[in-house]
Amino acid sequence: MNVLRWWWGLLLAFALLALLRIFLPLPFANEIIIFSIYTMGCNFLLGRVGYISFGQPAYLAVGAYATAFYLYYFGTNAYIGILIGVVAGIGVSFAIGLFFVRLRGDYFALVNLALAVIIYYLMQKVLADITHGDNGLWFLTNLASTPVLDISRPDQFFIFAFLVAFVIWAFYKYIDDSIFGACCLATKINEDKLRFLGYSSFKIRLFAFVIANTTTALAGAMYAVYLGFVSPEITSPSRAADPVVVTILGGLGTLYGPIVGSIAFTGMKDLVSKVIGNWELIVGFLLVFVMLAGEKGIWGTVEPLLKKMFSRASVPAGVGDGGVKSR
Amino acid sequence: MTNNDDVLTVSGLNVAYGESKVLFDVGMNVRSGQVVACVGRNGAGKSTLLKSIAGFLKPTSGSISSGTTNLIGKPAYVIAGMGIKYIPQDKKVFSDLTVRENLELGSYATKDYNWDQVTDYFPKLTQLMDRKAGYLSGGERQMLMIGRAILGRPKLLLIDEPTEGLAPSIVMHLKDVFRELSKKTALVIVEQNLPLVCAISNKVYALKEGRVMAELTDREPVRPEMCEKYL
Repeated sequence: MNVLRWWWGLLLAFALLALLRIFLPLPFANEIIIFSIYTMGCNFLLGRVGYISFGQPAYLAVGAYATAFYLYYFGTNAYIGILIGVVAGIGVSFAIGLFFVRLRGDYFALVNLALAVIIYYLMQKVLADITHGDNGLWFLTNLASTPVLDISRPDQFFIFAFLVAFVIWAFYKYIDDSIFGACCLATKINEDKLRFLGYSSFKIRLFAFVIANTTTALAGAMYAVYLGFVSPEITSPSRAADPVVVTILGGLGTLYGPIVGSIAFTGMKDLVSKVIGNWELIVGFLLVFVMLAGEKGIWGTVEPLLKKMFSRASVPAGVGDGGVKSR
Repeated sequence: MTNNDDVLTVSGLNVAYGESKVLFDVGMNVRSGQVVACVGRNGAGKSTLLKSIAGFLKPTSGSISSGTTNLIGKPAYVIAGMGIKYIPQDKKVFSDLTVRENLELGSYATKDYNWDQVTDYFPKLTQLMDRKAGYLSGGERQMLMIGRAILGRPKLLLIDEPTEGLAPSIVMHLKDVFRELSKKTALVIVEQNLPLVCAISNKVYALKEGRVMAELTDREPVRPEMCEKYL
């Protein structure tokens, strides 16, 4: 019997997050959870579908600004604000995906980066009349108390964010185990073969793109509500590689990778920066180390060790008797 | 002349890779229940012909139809959805997915979850269900690819070099499988193994340098020596 079932990992990951809440400052814990959600989308896109995107801040900004526009100009309910951010994420990623998912590899990565640059300048310059340019939109004082959990308060926002992260995680777990998840992986491995079976790989890629970037927009909407402020800095091209770095750092394509990577990344950013000025240098060295150690990331390295500890090795009979692994 | 009984009719087919023309006025006709083989040397255009039928290559001219439906211009996944399945020669499967997941992909696309038909032909797959396809041997992968393709009861299977690099015992097994399959579906097989071709085929098209040089039909038994001159 495999003792390390998936819910053990889930419990471990979220117990770690709960511990963080006890031992670490609330803003830090909140940032880790939102960053985990941000990275889950990128992890799905990169690990499951094989798309590397340096434009994730663009979709983060879509969610954040849609929420901010509502909360600054129209309403005060943060739940509705987040919902608007998610709907905007679906709409924008679907419209853009129709064109972008036709691309692959370097072109896809760069066209997304170009989108992040476009949105950055749209928010900073072109739409400055409504976005207030670099000054950003401040709406913290506009936020009204919300029922059940008052997410205008940071301590209750933590619980809300924790629950949302849990639901998103479970959603991706469900996708991983579904036919759609298998189709996504199949497009990454061999798109042509999928067409032989009668699947439209374009539709699969588009759907995956919308799911991933809507998750990113949700993270943006939550950032907006949590901070009560949005500026063009959220879509800064200089931060475009962050989710990709965290995905690889945590463990590409693994379900716990985004959480572990977010803890490591945000931890280094917030804690190490108090001791060492150039924290990016540490992240850079760590990433080089992770790559050289086998490209598995932190969770990808730890997981087999935990499995060894908690369960008997269950190698299928015949593996290694001449079967050659290939793609 | 297209007949409603024809599963596949190819006529005057010309295909090119860029400036390089590969097929010249190729014609082919397959009826339901027929096993049709394509033989020829490497580079004769056999695989190109199958890829063109499967919708992976766009012909420069000519026609490809199934019954009364024109296949030219249709995307590969639509043609597969019509029951014309292509099994490529590279034996590459979805290596990170298990055998079960590979079959589920076939089932979900066709809504055919009757895996007994697959395991009846290939009982070995039953023991391999939870193994990642990347760890299968060449013969096992071929079984998986054929098994996945027969889900949904296709009307035509396009099989590219199915016995290439396989052990003689597996080739014998595949020969029996193709015989059985031909009772339910038409087969077009690109193959260089002449004894196999002669044992199972009703009709053989011999291709040379992109042209059909001969059409050997079952009016008389197809013998290896009749095909050898084209290899």
